[in-house]
Amino acid sequence: MDMSFKEKSAWISLVSTLLIFGYYFYHVFGLTNLPTEEAKSVIAGLALKAIILIIIVESVFHGMLSMTNRKAAERGADERDKSIELQATSYSYWVLTIGVMFCLGRMVILEFNPEFSEHRSFQMPFLTVHILLFSFILSEVIRFAGQIVLYRRGF
Amino acid sequence: MSDLPIKNKIRECRFFADEMTQQQLADQVDVTRQTIMAIEKGKYSPSLEVAFKIAHAFGKSLDEVFEYLPEVD
Repeated sequence: MDMSFKEKSAWISLVSTLLIFGYYFYHVFGLTNLPTEEAKSVIAGLALKAIILIIIVESVFHGMLSMTNRKAAERGADERDKSIELQATSYSYWVLTIGVMFCLGRMVILEFNPEFSEHRSFQMPFLTVHILLFSFILSEVIRFAGQIVLYRRGF
Repeated sequence: MSDLPIKNKIRECRFFADEMTQQQLADQVDVTRQTIMAIEKGKYSPSLEVAFKIAHAFGKSLDEVFEYLPEVD
């Protein structure tokens, strides 16, 4: 497959984000049965692990990509790369907006109906943080996937 | 197949320019080889500036390399 430097970069970011944050959310959303204090320390450990891993993996793979494609790395994005990035970012913006709106709606509903927060599914620590983080990660996944689709299509 | 209304003769121009490679043209125009490939296949319409640079690389005018063919119902 004939891929440009920017497309390879999007693949690296997509795969590393999916694997690392997929692992993170898989474990975090399974914590509803743990006592709150225990769940908090597990989440802190998982978050730290995910952040360190994403920094290392992205740095190592992007470094390797730049070393093997020195000329393309130095030139940077051309006009098609920039157009594709803008288009993919606009898809990702909608996903993030829906996530933020959902989170705001949830907060307003809980403010008017505090009894809802006693439901078991609302007992996870940092639930609001995780809804926002999930929206952000999902929007990033859409951005990288959108870039790849647009590169494959031509634009 | 391309569904963009702008067609081009880049492949033909490269042939007559001593079989200029896509990479050589990309270097002259300062875009990636994949962008030249997408333009050549009609999958991407370049900006006016890049279109002029491509025509200039072949020593031709813009309308000798690119043409606008709107679909007629």
